Amino acid sequence: MNFALDEQQVLLQRTAREWFEAHGGPAAMRAMLDGAPAPDIGDELAAVGFLGVLIDDERGGSALEVLDLAVVAEEAGRTLSTAPLVGAAGWAASLLRSGEGEAAAAVLREIASGSQRIAVVEEDGAPVIGAHDATAFLAVGDGDLVVSARDAAEITDQRQMDPTRGLARVRVSRGKPLGRVAPEEVERARHVAEVTLAAEDLGTAARCLEMAVDYAKQRVAFGRPIGSFQAIKHMCVDMFAAVEQLRSLVWYAAWCADHDPVQLPVSASAAKAYSAEAVERCASTCIQVHGGIGFTWEHDAQLYWRRAKVDRVLLGDAARHHARVAELALARV
Amino acid sequence: MDFDDTPEETAWRGRVRRFLEENTDDVVRGRDRHTDAAGAAPRQRWQATLYDAGYVGITWPVEYGGRGGTPMQQVIVNQELSRAGSAPLVNGIGLGMCGPTIIAHGTEEQKQRYLRPMLRGDDIWCQLFSEPAAGSDLAGLQTRAIRDGDGWLIRGQKVWTSAAQYSRLGLLIARTDPSLPKHAGLTMFLIDMEQPGVTVRPLRQMTGDAHFNEVFFDDARVPAENLIGEVDGGWRVAITTLMNERLAIGGGGADMGVSVETLTRFAAKRLGALPADEQALVREKLGRAHVLAMAQRYTGYRRLTALSQGRMPGPEASVGKLSLVTLGQLTAEIGMSLLGDDAAFGADAGGDDRWQYSMAMWPGLAIAGGTNEILRNIVGERVLGLPGEPRPDKGVPAAAPTGVRA
Repeated sequence: MNFALDEQQVLLQRTAREWFEAHGGPAAMRAMLDGAPAPDIGDELAAVGFLGVLIDDERGGSALEVLDLAVVAEEAGRTLSTAPLVGAAGWAASLLRSGEGEAAAAVLREIASGSQRIAVVEEDGAPVIGAHDATAFLAVGDGDLVVSARDAAEITDQRQMDPTRGLARVRVSRGKPLGRVAPEEVERARHVAEVTLAAEDLGTAARCLEMAVDYAKQRVAFGRPIGSFQAIKHMCVDMFAAVEQLRSLVWYAAWCADHDPVQLPVSASAAKAYSAEAVERCASTCIQVHGGIGFTWEHDAQLYWRRAKVDRVLLGDAARHHARVAELALARV
Repeated sequence: MDFDDTPEETAWRGRVRRFLEENTDDVVRGRDRHTDAAGAAPRQRWQATLYDAGYVGITWPVEYGGRGGTPMQQVIVNQELSRAGSAPLVNGIGLGMCGPTIIAHGTEEQKQRYLRPMLRGDDIWCQLFSEPAAGSDLAGLQTRAIRDGDGWLIRGQKVWTSAAQYSRLGLLIARTDPSLPKHAGLTMFLIDMEQPGVTVRPLRQMTGDAHFNEVFFDDARVPAENLIGEVDGGWRVAITTLMNERLAIGGGGADMGVSVETLTRFAAKRLGALPADEQALVREKLGRAHVLAMAQRYTGYRRLTALSQGRMPGPEASVGKLSLVTLGQLTAEIGMSLLGDDAAFGADAGGDDRWQYSMAMWPGLAIAGGTNEILRNIVGERVLGLPGEPRPDKGVPAAAPTGVRA
């Protein structure tokens, strides 16, 4: 039994924390809400290697595992980064890895080097993560993996709740075939995306907890720090408990992606279901602990709340994943 | 990261499992509903069998009857006992709380004399802490220990004392100096429960069972050698007991109530009998219970990893009890939902009341071993570093009962 990050992963975590704190941060989302473009971090993101975590070294990546990507994603989630870890580094890279031939390999190279920003389009018309910045779209139709240039896609934009997610509805009609992809590989790649999203939300929730606890120690009311009141203290403890339980589920699901394919579907749905509720509860509680200042445009709490409200529905909400977990459990009886 | 046993652990697990398979006829199964000495006797024999074979007190020192093993080995024994369907060991309070307290604070003679029979289940122990006016605020306790020659006379009342009705010995905290501030005037003793000054009166809980008791002390005697730690130094000793209690309830991965696996098998049989719209709701809740059970299991594995690397779990382990209670209550509620109209009765037509019993059991677990609210205070203050509540009682002698307003 060794359910902990190893030394390399702890090092990666530290590197990722420093990197994301130095590149962007929540203020970027506020600027985007007021009309600024997304921060231009693509080249540096490729240089630091976070886009190629799951990509083989001969294709410019570092050939690590989904757990390593989850470690990076948690740190990205802490700062509400625009880095396309869910769509490109997780989902697209996993789909392409199972594609055949040189064409798929070439796209992997482009993801790792940052020369292409790939978003994944599903057939059901769900909002596409990272569509705003995407230079190309990846889709699966009738078992074929197809990549389409941006100008070959029909993109329908709507007002953004969290502009860092770059959501849009996308329809692709033509593109370049990259070979067959097995249904179980399509499913696995989606689970990798779910786990990566849950890992980002772990970081988002953990940062909400930190902000709330810091404020509860400083803010004085009725002659004492508000964190000394049980009403506030207990809210913070419930956030802490949720963050720690979510961390366990994220690590386990990420580990399953590379080591236990049988448990991956249930563990990925468990992580996504729990993250949807935990991140939302932490973001809402963070505002409540801050009181009036937490409700202002200038405070970061509203930015974390936006991320939480959007992420909870992406790739399936809690109800859908709870139902999926029940279905898988009942099928095993 | 991996979830496999090491080669040593595999060998150990194999040994434990073989023993349990070879002795399957002796395993005492079922839930712990006995309420007297006669009911406890078969479980005492089972604990003795396990002890003699070397499977109780794995981490305790060899010189006191333990095995000097690792926490992981103890966890493996617990897992295999659970797998074999064994009921919890009869002397759980002794093993989980009284024993670790004596190991940490007892005299050499106390360790030599009491630990081995405790492990074997020959002596059953109870923990005499809570009082009618001192529960969460334990340090407000009023039971007096009055000097009498070399020893003490005990006068007062304890309550919620599990297993007192068939315990031979108890771990008792009493007030030796009422003039001192409330936390300072307390002393820990071990007491012989089979003496004229001790009266045990069973209390029925809302489940209908009488696990716990009121215990009255009318000048019961405690000889000098039964002092644990320092006179007036009992609070420090009690902290050891309480920390172990929280680990025993929340952190050990012990089975409590009905498992999610049992619930799922029940759901597979019963879901079809519910109206279609209700089925969807129950499925959603069943999925939620599985997610919480996984979160509980893998968070437990993180604690085990820390243990196996030689680190002790800290106060953050207290949140394990909070989430365990949430999961247990949800599991029982889903079981009730699956009963359909039968949920309005105390048992189904065949007399099976496991869901009703489980539902009635969880409110007790939300209170025992530190209420959910006290645990949140502990985690908030010791883990998150939030400031404590102002304490008007600090430094003030606990001269009068503080738990009830006249």
